[in-house]
Amino acid sequence: MENADVFLGLHDFLERMRQPSAADFVKSIKSFIVSFSNNAPDPERDSAAVQSFLANMEAAFRAHPLWAGCSEEELDSAGEGLEKYVMTKLFTRVFASIPDDVKTDEQLSEKIALVQQFVRPENLDIKASFQNETSWLLAQKELQKINMYKAPRDKLVCILNCCKVINNLLLNASIALNENPPGADEFLPVLIYVTIKANPPQLHSNLLYIQRYRRQSRLVGEAAYFFTNMLSAESFISNIDAQALSMEESEFERNMESAQALLSGLSADMDGLSNQNDESEGQISVEQLIQSKHQGVNSTKEKEHLTPVRSSESKSVKKVTFAKDQEPITKVPSLSELENKGATMLLKEEKASQVFQEYPYLFAQVGDLTISDVEDLLNNYKQLVFKYVCLSKGLGSATSSLPSSVLPSQVQLQVETMKAPEEHKRVELNDESEKDTSETNDSSNQVLNSNEEKVESQLPEDEEKVERGGKNDETSK
Amino acid sequence: MGCSGSVPARSSGQSGGLNNLENAGSSDAKNLRVKLVLLGDSGVGKSCIVLRFVRGQFDPTSKVTVGASFLSQTIALQDSTTVKFEIWDTAGQERYAALAPLYYRGAAVAVVVYDITSPDSFNKAQYWVKELQKHGSPDIVMALVGNKADLHEKREVPAQDGIEYAEKNGMFFIETSAKTADNINQLFEEIAKRLPRPSPSS
Ligand SMILES: Nc1nc2c(ncn2[C@@H]2O[C@H](COP(=O)(O)OP(=O)(O)O)[C@@H](O)[C@H]2O)c(=O)[nH]1
Ligand SMILES: [Mg+2]
Repeated sequence: MENADVFLGLHDFLERMRQPSAADFVKSIKSFIVSFSNNAPDPERDSAAVQSFLANMEAAFRAHPLWAGCSEEELDSAGEGLEKYVMTKLFTRVFASIPDDVKTDEQLSEKIALVQQFVRPENLDIKASFQNETSWLLAQKELQKINMYKAPRDKLVCILNCCKVINNLLLNASIALNENPPGADEFLPVLIYVTIKANPPQLHSNLLYIQRYRRQSRLVGEAAYFFTNMLSAESFISNIDAQALSMEESEFERNMESAQALLSGLSADMDGLSNQNDESEGQISVEQLIQSKHQGVNSTKEKEHLTPVRSSESKSVKKVTFAKDQEPITKVPSLSELENKGATMLLKEEKASQVFQEYPYLFAQVGDLTISDVEDLLNNYKQLVFKYVCLSKGLGSATSSLPSSVLPSQVQLQVETMKAPEEHKRVELNDESEKDTSETNDSSNQVLNSNEEKVESQLPEDEEKVERGGKNDETSK
Repeated sequence: MGCSGSVPARSSGQSGGLNNLENAGSSDAKNLRVKLVLLGDSGVGKSCIVLRFVRGQFDPTSKVTVGASFLSQTIALQDSTTVKFEIWDTAGQERYAALAPLYYRGAAVAVVVYDITSPDSFNKAQYWVKELQKHGSPDIVMALVGNKADLHEKREVPAQDGIEYAEKNGMFFIETSAKTADNINQLFEEIAKRLPRPSPSS
């Protein structure tokens, strides 16, 4: 897991905060977090406050006996832990907190939804030899994870992972073609294309959030370079016009209009389908299946079964969908319809997990795998992607780019959730439900943040009444 | 086609993988860390220049590069200080020109490259210099580089034009060949010498 190291950073940080000598730190951190609830959002001021608080605390850590004799890495990890803790607590208060940002997110997302219907790699100067739409799905996937996280660093990692996937693909292509390693001329256009295809949720707000709340001294070097590319992609996309895509004005207009028509047809479909996730038109029932699971985990924490919660809903949706078909957009059943149907059937299935039994890796945990599995997995994966893309294509080009969600990782995530909900990483050193400012409307984010990554960490009480059952004490209430 | 005719699939100036988020040491008086941005038309040889520079002095057995869009390379100067260049490539295609300010913001060095066989690319270089003067940070160190100096039989931009333009605009000027490696190291060494040094006391 990409973020494991920082998770450990947080854990280590919380451990130290439980030491009696850290009482003053605990007090400052808590009062800093509380201070935010007293003021209306003001991004400039909030960002400056967080940056200087983090800087001051890091300096104080460095000078404190708790970290005496520690390496730079350990201090850095404490800083990461602090940043993650503070920003997880402040998230609901500072993320997309002003109407302008929310509006920009919506406009950008709407524009991308249109442009992604017709943009071609050539429109962006992506050389034919570097075009590889199938593999780009992986990069899109990384970007689409961005709302699973609250901490600025974790969100940044999604962007960097996306860039890494693109770079690796370009690099492999260039080696195969005996060309120079890819530079910005090759990289940026692909990043823009991938971003358009991914239409990541709340892109604008996410970028602003990273820019404002990622500790500035750590947003440097290579991370800063790739983050700048993402900013640059956003800027390019929000200004896309005929000229930017080397199109005739009239052609561009026409494309935008038919994209609009297609989308309103689709969204009529979707309206019925989904009443909880309006972010991404492309996220369909497999995703819903997962989300319903996550909701279950988040809200009830009980051991789960695959219950047919959604089946009745889905059935009534079917009717709506077909009623809408008089608008002659989907003549063949669309991919999303097929998937929805399958998912509904799965949900009804008594022993749903048995269906997956013939897929050996689906129940595997990371630790079960060995290097020798990689080849097998990769082959499986390639077949899956190939089949999927062929299926999509076969169903017509309109739907083929929509669901990039059927990738093994997600299926696996779902199965893991189903199998071992008690293994979710949680840090709860102390259950204090009162006086925590950010927890109040946390529930609004439950859909957005994967349970797996949810860090409900708590600092100990100022006086130390820390009782601690085990590492993951879910039952301490 | 490679920059040098050889097939160098690997490189190594890379300081770490893409997920290496930590601040790999910061600047002090003895060890400078410098953001350098490359500007110039597509095809003038920016990538080749950087790859030449980064490959020339590094053990090629270490890491596989993630590409040539971001590379870093440290050089040691005579006075026993070191300069770590973090080299930011920019997309040279016309449609991306408006994005350049995002990249040169906060850069300590801008290297503007043209191709001595292409007057168009020399014009474009002048455009970048003007942009930098308008929007770059005021103390940015600028270098003007006429690349592909090995193609002298096809030369269309006289060296004198480059020299004069650079002089007028307070820039360092050099002609290079990424193909033969001519003047590549000199380019970066000269830049390093021109960097403002933080005072040792601070
Ligand atoms: N003859 C010659 N060709 C060069 C030189 N530098 C680059 N090239 C060639 O010019 C083309 C473009 O180079 P590249 O580095 O990709 O340019 P960029 O778009 O500015 O990054 C490639 O075919 C290189 O092989 C040089 O110094 N001499
Ligand atoms: Mg290049």
